[in-house]
Amino acid sequence: MPGEASKAAAIIGAAEANDIGYPTTPKSSLTLHIEAINNVCNMTGIPIAAIDGIFSAGWSPQLAEYLGLHPKYIDTTSVGGCSFEMHVHHALAAIHAGVIDVALVSHGEMGFSQRFTGGKGTGRPFGGGDPWDPGTQHTSAYGLGGAPTGYSHAMNRHMARYGTTQEDFAEIAVVTREWATLNPRAVMYRKAGEGDLPPLEQGEWGGGKRGHTFGGPITVDTVMNSRAISWPIKLLDVCLVTDHGGAVLIAGPEIASVSKTPPVWIAGAGESISHWNMLEMNDFTETSASRSAAAAYKMAGMGPEDMEMAMIYDSFTVTAGITAEMLGLAPGGEGPALWKDRHAAPGGRLPINTNGGGLSFNHSGMYGMQLLVEAYRQLSGTAEDDGFSGDPGKQTSARSCVVNGTGGTLSTTGTLVLTSD
Amino acid sequence: MAEYTKPIPSPDPVSQPFWDGAKEGKLMLPRCSDCNRVHWYPRVICPFCHSMNIEWVEGTGRGTIHTFAVQHNRGLVARGWGDEVPYVTAYIDLAEGDRMLTVLKGVDPNDPDSIEIGGAVQIEFEEASENVHIPFWRPV
Repeated sequence: MPGEASKAAAIIGAAEANDIGYPTTPKSSLTLHIEAINNVCNMTGIPIAAIDGIFSAGWSPQLAEYLGLHPKYIDTTSVGGCSFEMHVHHALAAIHAGVIDVALVSHGEMGFSQRFTGGKGTGRPFGGGDPWDPGTQHTSAYGLGGAPTGYSHAMNRHMARYGTTQEDFAEIAVVTREWATLNPRAVMYRKAGEGDLPPLEQGEWGGGKRGHTFGGPITVDTVMNSRAISWPIKLLDVCLVTDHGGAVLIAGPEIASVSKTPPVWIAGAGESISHWNMLEMNDFTETSASRSAAAAYKMAGMGPEDMEMAMIYDSFTVTAGITAEMLGLAPGGEGPALWKDRHAAPGGRLPINTNGGGLSFNHSGMYGMQLLVEAYRQLSGTAEDDGFSGDPGKQTSARSCVVNGTGGTLSTTGTLVLTSD
Repeated sequence: MAEYTKPIPSPDPVSQPFWDGAKEGKLMLPRCSDCNRVHWYPRVICPFCHSMNIEWVEGTGRGTIHTFAVQHNRGLVARGWGDEVPYVTAYIDLAEGDRMLTVLKGVDPNDPDSIEIGGAVQIEFEEASENVHIPFWRPV
């Protein structure tokens, strides 16, 4: 039986900023937020002024000020890429409790463009971790830095525990790329200059508009032959680094009924954490998604067998492979087989990451909003992107979707069970 | 002593006994005097039973490799380590319990198949500065 908060609110619209991926000129993270907010409010017909709760990964005070809003609920949960799934969880609770009527979850991040602005516009303070912080103090000596340097340890442990191989994980990248070739907004949609696409437009800032030098279909060999980043992780096991802005509006049934766009119900939500620094990770082949998913399924009164598609955070191939197991979509050790056996592929029984994923669509540093936008589009039947006259292909018939964000270094997770009427 | 060019940790009051031990080549570990479990990193409270009675004991300096990775990308690793790629980072299960991060010495980063998950390792300390000697591990 579903929990009390199940379907107390719906995502009533989801939109992105005007230029995502590799924009030809940089926009600040704040501008990316605002474009997406404006777009989602236009789409739903709900005015910006009606927003009375703001949820973002640290930006809520600035957004309220910039928009001249005086929200009744201000949430800045910022625990990595899953923050946005947690925001939806928190917004559901706040609406269910009667505290607010219209929640905004917003994201803006210039993951790509910041390299051309020297970090200006990101909204992040410059500098690193506190040297006395225990996680920093007892790991900094060994040089681990960018996310791949940590995640590789989990992939190796999975291979040792279950006998999975680098090729098994490469299948995730191959199938996910296949989805990207159906999404004109995906960075890896096409090889630049091929077919009917104009040549890669190199802007003043080095960004390209459509297509990528390494875009288009790939094979397991392409992944295996890409350069080692942090063995066993290779370049094509790693997500993109792009710009993105996205926003969703969440409201109860009454407001949902007047929105111009259909509701996608929040049937279940849950969140959890296993550690913050990877030093404190217990089992390197398991994440807290098993707990956050259990909570979400329980609230929904549904189980993994009821899910018709999945949006799974894929910062790396290993992230998606392990998480599929945690969500109960595959037994331990058999996560990558969902892709290898093409269940996750276009036309498969359980489509996964239908936008092309963080691996081949867009990953701005935190990817949780991209998961929400695509899940909304799929379940509301609007997954053929209206920003381009793209080939039809990625819209599925799914009416239920499990969405799982992962943050930190396999540290934090937020899981949602979404359904449509 | 040649100048140490890689990051040097900053001991804090909670961890100072560990760094004092490291200077003498000893692995000092925090242990809860109520539940007797060793934890890492050092805390003022036991993460297992939440007792605040923590004592320091000398460990054996032995452990096993929980998992490892080979760092190839100089741009992703900290200052000083970029010149050492490829090098092997590993999480070590301590004989006393709980886990440390390290860089593995005495292994071939170009042949990861030769490095054994579960394999036995022994601690050693490298003098990075007068007050900070950094623990590293090496297969036995």
